[in-house]
Amino acid sequence: MGRSRTDLLVFIAKRLAVLPFVLLGIIAITFFFTHIAVRNPCASWIPHAHPGALQNCINYFGLNQPLTTQFVKYLSSLAAGNWGIDPLGGQPVAPVILAAVPATIELVLASLFLMVVIGIPLGVIAANSNGRWADHLVRVLYLSGWATPTYLGALVLAVIVGPAVGLPSGGAYTTSTPPFPQPTHFSVIDALLAGSPSGVADAFSHLILPATALAFLNMGIATRMTRSSMLEVLPLDYVKTARMKGLSDIFVVYKHALRNSLISTTTVLGITAGSLLSGTVVIEEIFRWPGMGDYAFNAITSYNFAGTIATVVIFALGVVIANLVADVLYGVLDPRVEWR
Amino acid sequence: MIGARRDDGVTLEPPSANEPLLKVEDLSIEYRVGAGTFQAVRDVSFELYPGRVLGIVGETGCGKSTLAHAIPRLLPEPPAKIRSGKIIYQGVDLAQVPKWKIPRVRGTGVGMVFQEPINSLNPSFRIYSQVVESIRVRRMRDAGKMPSFQPGPQAFDYSRRPQLSTAEAMAHPLTPVLPSGIRDRGPPPIPKQLREEVLEALRLVRINDPETILGLYPHELSGGMRQRVMIAMALSQRPTLLIADEPTSALDVTIQAQVLSLMKELMEEVKTSILFISHDLGVIAEMADEVGVMYAGHLVELGPVDEVFGHPGHPYTRALLDSVPTRYKDDGPLPSLGGNVPNLSRLPPGCPFHTRCPIAEAPCSVSPGPLLEILPGRPPGIQHRAACLYPERVEARP
Repeated sequence: MGRSRTDLLVFIAKRLAVLPFVLLGIIAITFFFTHIAVRNPCASWIPHAHPGALQNCINYFGLNQPLTTQFVKYLSSLAAGNWGIDPLGGQPVAPVILAAVPATIELVLASLFLMVVIGIPLGVIAANSNGRWADHLVRVLYLSGWATPTYLGALVLAVIVGPAVGLPSGGAYTTSTPPFPQPTHFSVIDALLAGSPSGVADAFSHLILPATALAFLNMGIATRMTRSSMLEVLPLDYVKTARMKGLSDIFVVYKHALRNSLISTTTVLGITAGSLLSGTVVIEEIFRWPGMGDYAFNAITSYNFAGTIATVVIFALGVVIANLVADVLYGVLDPRVEWR
Repeated sequence: MIGARRDDGVTLEPPSANEPLLKVEDLSIEYRVGAGTFQAVRDVSFELYPGRVLGIVGETGCGKSTLAHAIPRLLPEPPAKIRSGKIIYQGVDLAQVPKWKIPRVRGTGVGMVFQEPINSLNPSFRIYSQVVESIRVRRMRDAGKMPSFQPGPQAFDYSRRPQLSTAEAMAHPLTPVLPSGIRDRGPPPIPKQLREEVLEALRLVRINDPETILGLYPHELSGGMRQRVMIAMALSQRPTLLIADEPTSALDVTIQAQVLSLMKELMEEVKTSILFISHDLGVIAEMADEVGVMYAGHLVELGPVDEVFGHPGHPYTRALLDSVPTRYKDDGPLPSLGGNVPNLSRLPPGCPFHTRCPIAEAPCSVSPGPLLEILPGRPPGIQHRAACLYPERVEARP
C-alpha cells in the first residue's frame, strides 16, 4: 500500500485479474439473452426457405441442441480463437470487427478530447461567474446538450449544420476506401502514415461532425462536474493562499483550483465512457462511420449472434479499461491517494 | 480616575513614522444572504504604523476575520460587499482599486497567514513548488517583469527595511520527521539558486534540514510544520504588511507556543508591520503593540495593549478580560455575560453592547458612541480610544 511504481503496477494487475471473470459473465449474459430471445434465427436468416434448407441450417449451427451445450461449444471455439461466423455472409466475424474497432476508438477519443478542451473550460468559466450571465449561458448550453435525444442532435448536425458549414457528414473519407493503405484503421493516422496532406484534411473533416455530435451530448456532464467541484474548491484556504501570493486570477484558477477540481471530473469522465460507447451506435449509424457501433447495429438487427456477442464484449472491455484509466489518473492527480 | 492612569509607570513610545502604513476609515462590510443583509463590520476605523503590530481581538462572529480578509480584498464579492469606508494602504484606497489590479497589492505588499495549516497549503503540489511560487512572484516584481502595486506618495521606504537573514541562533528548531514509507523523490527540478532561496526561507522559520521536506506533499507534514511553511512562504515575499488571521488557533497548545515564540522572534528580525487577528487575549498581549477589541462588527476599543488590558475603557473589554481564567483566581466559576451577541441583521439602535452592559444608561440606547480618546492630547499611534460614553466607570483590573 503506497504510491510507488510497484504499488501502481500491483493495483493495475489486481484490477486486470478480475477482467476474465467480468468478460465471461458478459459473454454468458449476452449469449443466453440472444439465444433465448430468438430460438430459431434460421427463419430470418433465410426467409421463404425450403423446410429442408431450414433444417440444414438448424443442424449446421447446432441450434437444436440444449442451450448449455451450445454455450460450452461457443466457449470452446472462443478459446481456440474462433469468434464465430456471420451467418449471412458466412465470413468469420473477427477480422471485420477488429477492423472496425480503431474507427470507434478514434471517434470516442476525438469526442473525449472535445469534452476536455471545451467542456472543462466551460465549467471553469461558469464557476467563476457563479450566478451571472456567463454561468446561465453555460448552463443552458449543457442542459440543452444533455436533454437533446442522441439521434435528434446527431441528425440536426448531419442534415442541417453539416451542409451549412460545408463539413462532410458521411463515412470516414470522401471515397469509401481511401487511395492509401490502412494499416491501423485509424482514419487520420492512416492518412498521416501515407504522408498525404489532402488525405489528412479529408479524414479530419469527416471526423469533426460525428465527434462533435457525440461530445455535445455528453459534454454536459464534464461541464457540470467541473463547475460544481470548482465551486467547492474556490472558497478553500489554499486558493486564498495562492491569491495572497499575488498570482493573477487566471493562474490561481487554472493551476491551483482546477487541478483539484479535475479529480472528480476525471472519475465522472471514466463513467461516461460507457455512455460514449453506447452513443456511438446511433452516431455511427447516422454518420455512416465505419466503426463498431455501425457493425453492432447491423449484427443485432440481422441476428448475427457471434457478431453481437463480440461487439458487446469489446464495448465492455472498453468501459473497464476507461474506468481503470480514470482510477489511475485519479491517483496521479491526488497525491493523497494510495494504490490499493 | 483618569489622571491616575497617566502615572502607572507605563512608557509608551510613539511610532517612528508619521504616516500610517494602513489606515482604515469608517469601513462597513455587509453580507447579502438570501433577502437579508448581515452587517459583519460597521464603521471600523484604525491606523497601523510601519513596524508595529496591531492585534484585533473579539469572540467568534464579531467580524475580525471579515475585516482581515477585506483589507487585501479577499472576501468573495458577492455575497460580501464593502458598503462604505476606505482601506488606505500606502496612500491608496484599496476599496476603490479595480478587482483585476488587486493581485498586484498582494504578496509583496500585503501578505497573509491563515488559520488552518491543514487547508492553507494546496494538497496537490509539493512543498518546494508552493514556496517557489512565492519567491518567483517577489523576484519578478523586483525585476520589473510583473506588475506590482504603485505605492502612493506616502509610501513606506523599502530600502530602509532590513533584509531577511537566516537566524544564526535557532531557538526553536524543528527537525522534520519523515512519515514512514516515503521514498526519496529526488531533488526538485528547479534551478540551484532558486532552491537555495527556498531553503533559506525554510531555515528562517527554523526548520532543520529543510532539504528533506522539499519533495513532500502537505499532507505528509505535521500541523506545526505546515504552519511554518506558510509563514516561510509569506515572509519570502518580504511583505510590507502581514495579516495573520488566527495563525495559531488550530494548533495544539505546545505547537502553538512554539509557533508564537517563532513569530515573536521573526517580528524582531523582519520588522514587518503585522495585523494579528486572534480570539485569544493572552496571545494578543504577548504579540501586539496595540489592540483593537471588536464586538458585533464594531470596534469598541483601541489602544496600547497594556493600557487596554490594564485599564479597559469599554465594559465589553472588561467582561472579556474577566472571562480569562488565571491561576490566582479561585473564587468559583468565571464570570460570564448574560444574554447573547445581538443578531447582526437586526442590531439594536445605539451602542451594540447596551442590552448586556452592566453600566448602561438611557443615552446608550440612542446613538452608538464614537471612538473617543480617553486621554486626549496623545500623539497618533499610542492613543487610547473607547466607544463608550462612560469609560471612567469601567473598573481597572486588580
